[in-house]
Amino acid sequence: MSELDDLAAFYEALLFIAERPLATAELAQLAAIPRLQAEAILSGLAGELEDGRRGLRLQRNDDAWQLVTAPEVGERLAAYAAREEPRLTPAALEALAVIAYRQPCTRGEVERVRGVDSDYVIRSLLHRRLVVEVGRRDTPGRPALFGTTFEFLERFGLTSLDDLPPLSSTAAAATALTAVAEDGSPSPVAGAPAPDHD
Amino acid sequence: MPLQPIPIETDRVAVLPGVLADEPAAFELRLPTFEGPLQLLLHLIESRQLDVLTIPLADVADAYVQHLARHPVDAANLSEFVAIAAQLILLKSRRVLPGEPMPLAVDEEAEPDEEELRRRLVEYRTMRDAALVLGERDLVAPLLRREPRDEDLPVAVVPPLPVTLLSQALELLAAVPEPAAPPPEVMLREITIGMQIAALRRAMGRHGQVILQAVLAGCRSRTEVAVTVLAALELVRRRQVRVAQDALFGPIVLEPMPGAGE
Repeated sequence: MSELDDLAAFYEALLFIAERPLATAELAQLAAIPRLQAEAILSGLAGELEDGRRGLRLQRNDDAWQLVTAPEVGERLAAYAAREEPRLTPAALEALAVIAYRQPCTRGEVERVRGVDSDYVIRSLLHRRLVVEVGRRDTPGRPALFGTTFEFLERFGLTSLDDLPPLSSTAAAATALTAVAEDGSPSPVAGAPAPDHD
Repeated sequence: MPLQPIPIETDRVAVLPGVLADEPAAFELRLPTFEGPLQLLLHLIESRQLDVLTIPLADVADAYVQHLARHPVDAANLSEFVAIAAQLILLKSRRVLPGEPMPLAVDEEAEPDEEELRRRLVEYRTMRDAALVLGERDLVAPLLRREPRDEDLPVAVVPPLPVTLLSQALELLAAVPEPAAPPPEVMLREITIGMQIAALRRAMGRHGQVILQAVLAGCRSRTEVAVTVLAALELVRRRQVRVAQDALFGPIVLEPMPGAGE
């Protein structure tokens, strides 16, 4: 067994017994190795767990790591560890989506995208610990910047933010919009609008 | 994509006075309530299977205003709904007047920009779709972390104690003397003008007249001196005493004004 394998095993064991996420710096210090090396070992371990289709995954959020169950076994595990928790409302999901994809972002940015006051939903997200204040923006009023948490990743079965489902229409829509703008005249839609069916 | 009804409390729902409000309610439809104007606008466009990217937004102005008039919206965001309605109506009015150059808006900020509104719609649609995808994953297959077990909590190792220890402790407790009475509370002495007026009157009642300096010499603090002087001035103002001073820095003599009722 090489030295690196030993350290990977050490990290796996350490993260198994740890009751909180451990920061890369902390893990590097415990193994007395440089940070970059610790990061490489941890990424290797994460890849190994995933490729080996094991029951555990190494989850990463903003430079901290924790060992969690694999998404593949999540549904079966629910029978053992069912969470009696209500699903999020559409409004909460919208605000959460803006924060997750735009993080770090302010309440104002969430409200601009949604077009509605979002104070209450963001409070409820903070209360559920799905988002936290990660800093303050250096603009007048120093508004709070929000980011997502490990609880967010856990709840939605994500190993890291890289696993967020890709945004559906941004790229295509942005291109199309530019084309329309350059054309100068959006093609009018033929015929009268259909009656309101909602 | 199915539109999810937003649960809201009925007391937060507002209905704009409707053009068709007097229409007989033959049957009741359970309609989704729209939380925001962008959500409503996007729904109106998509329910007609029109393309957000190309439809002139003025085309949906009527449908939008009609919807506002006929259906409840989230009252908390009513102003946002109305603001978008105003933008749509202006966009439409421009189309109705062909060839007429629009007068320049007084405030360029107030000028509704169709492409800006369209950009917001597309941005909102992106996030709404992302929210729907997230919603499908919500708690479906959560990743669980190791929860600390009760047995994991550290337990202090303590050898068994003899029962007699308890009775000994009780005896010791009984032997503890009663706590000493707390020292008397220290209170700030309050001196009021009213108190000093009474004091001056008492002194004048006893001696007929009073030398102010003598009274001040008996004061125990700067505050008391100040308040006593104010009390003397107050008595002068009320014309209840007469004040006399023969020489500069000489004794100030106070005596009751004849006929001044107490």
